[in-house]
Amino acid sequence: MLSIKLAFRNLIGAGLRTWLNVIVLSFSFVIIIWNKGVLNGWNEQARHDMVEWQIGGGQYWQENYDPYDMFTINESHSAIPQEFKNDIANNEMTPILINTGTIYPDGRMQNVILNGIMPNQKVLKIPTEKLENNSNEISVLIGKRMAKNNKLEVGDYFPIRWRDANETFDASDAKVVGIFNSNVPVIDQGKIWISLQQLQKMLVTPNEATMLITKNVDRKNAEVDGWIFRDHKFLLSDMDEIIRMKNVGGSIFYLILLALALLAIFDTQVLSIFRRQKEIGTEIALGMTRWQVVRLFTVEGAMYSIFAAVLAAIYGIPLLALQAKNGFPMPEAADSYGLPIAKAIYPTYSLGLIFGTVFVIFIATLIVSYLPAKKISKINPTDAIKGKIQ
Amino acid sequence: MANSIITITNMKKQYPEGKGKFTALDDINLSINSGEFTGIVGPSGSGKTTLLNIIGSLDVPTEGEVITLGESIGKLTHRKAAKLRNKNIGFIFQTYNLLPVYSVYENVEFPLLLLKMSASKRKKAVLDALEWLGLTDKIKSRPGQLSGGECQRVAVARAMVKLPEIVLADEPTANLDAENAHNILKMMSKLNKELNTTFLFSTHDEKVIQYLTRQILLKDGKVVG
Repeated sequence: MLSIKLAFRNLIGAGLRTWLNVIVLSFSFVIIIWNKGVLNGWNEQARHDMVEWQIGGGQYWQENYDPYDMFTINESHSAIPQEFKNDIANNEMTPILINTGTIYPDGRMQNVILNGIMPNQKVLKIPTEKLENNSNEISVLIGKRMAKNNKLEVGDYFPIRWRDANETFDASDAKVVGIFNSNVPVIDQGKIWISLQQLQKMLVTPNEATMLITKNVDRKNAEVDGWIFRDHKFLLSDMDEIIRMKNVGGSIFYLILLALALLAIFDTQVLSIFRRQKEIGTEIALGMTRWQVVRLFTVEGAMYSIFAAVLAAIYGIPLLALQAKNGFPMPEAADSYGLPIAKAIYPTYSLGLIFGTVFVIFIATLIVSYLPAKKISKINPTDAIKGKIQ
Repeated sequence: MANSIITITNMKKQYPEGKGKFTALDDINLSINSGEFTGIVGPSGSGKTTLLNIIGSLDVPTEGEVITLGESIGKLTHRKAAKLRNKNIGFIFQTYNLLPVYSVYENVEFPLLLLKMSASKRKKAVLDALEWLGLTDKIKSRPGQLSGGECQRVAVARAMVKLPEIVLADEPTANLDAENAHNILKMMSKLNKELNTTFLFSTHDEKVIQYLTRQILLKDGKVVG
């Protein structure tokens, strides 16, 4: 308690020197928490969007399906298992049929992935009800990126060509019946969404699907021959890897920031011990043990982090709260990276993040304060009293 | 010898100097009784401050024995020496050595904080000490805002606030003008008489010498009178 009381007095008494260190350290607090908060917010938003728009509660993949192998994708479909019929009827599951195709908007050619989906499905957020169509024409739904890249609008027609299950090429005109806006580029770029029945008819694969997407994460997923269940851990692994990489990058950034702040404190401590020799000698003469003086200087250094945490709270809480409310706007080009990035990322700050950051900085400050302070234990008090530099 | 509080027997103090040793104090034999107002008088470099530092347990003798308040200085651990200084010895320095970022009140309060005295007792003791020294109007001032005389009065208050048995004053008037020097010395003399505190000065200042009840003459590290 004595060290804390005296350290507090010393820091308050030191005035500007204290506040400069505190301000620099408080920046570290706020920026580290903000940086982590943005990454957390992005992670949560990206996961949420991927679940809602792309992966649902999990997916059954036809055993040959490999999303990264375009050469086998046309053979990766089989009959929808009988045991899923009820789930599909109850909208607990929706089948997707996948095949490659080519479109020719404005005479240009582009390879696409054709996705057959039930228009009345309620598993994914894609507005598939627009695919409800009683006419014989092929109605398609596309994402805004696809529409922009191909200069397509609702009501436009373009030729579409595909190869059916019998290896026969066929072609027809397709009509854009809807353009949806999603933060998940994977379901948008290069993708055409067609009614499942329509696509099954086009491919001559009645009642077949490439994957089945479940609605709920916590459903009991039975093992079905010829189908492999992919859970969130598997489906989000790429996303997790990207977040991990971003975290590493962010950590380097805030380690540099923290190092600068700690360097300022270390420098202040070294300078203090150099300049305050007379004070140290006097304190020893007045009855402090050398270790009490070491402790005092260490607590002084560590107290910077407490002051900085308080200062960071004063200006950081409103600033971070405002950011959490209004979001951090992302540039227009951000979604072209292929990652699910919203127009604005809303940072999320957990208590663990805040207290963890405060704790880590406190311990780091304690260490950089102790290292120069331990030199005091070797100081000769009779020389120190006279202010002789040792 | 019954009420002797400082006893020095055959004491020698040497410092390393190049390949050899420099003898700062040699064959010192002294006894100082409780309540004395004594000065160690001698020219610069005669070893006055070294002797004071050893008596005050800030340094240790190379040979011989120094007993301060029943404790053999050479045998004390750092912790025990700190405790001895904290409880029983007050220091007054030539350059005041006030803690620059503390107020007058906080400077005087400092030794009592180390003694873990309760807040109410501490406050009373500090205010009493400041009143003795006529500093009640300077409680909130910082050392930088005080004159030399005022600084030294604060240093005396800091030394006296815990009512120590011994006050060691190293050239306490060296940085003061004649008027302030006399004022300080009068106060110390008064405290010596009223509280029976033992004062031990190191000095070569005539102004101090005229107040002393006993002089110990030191020359080239030896007691010569």
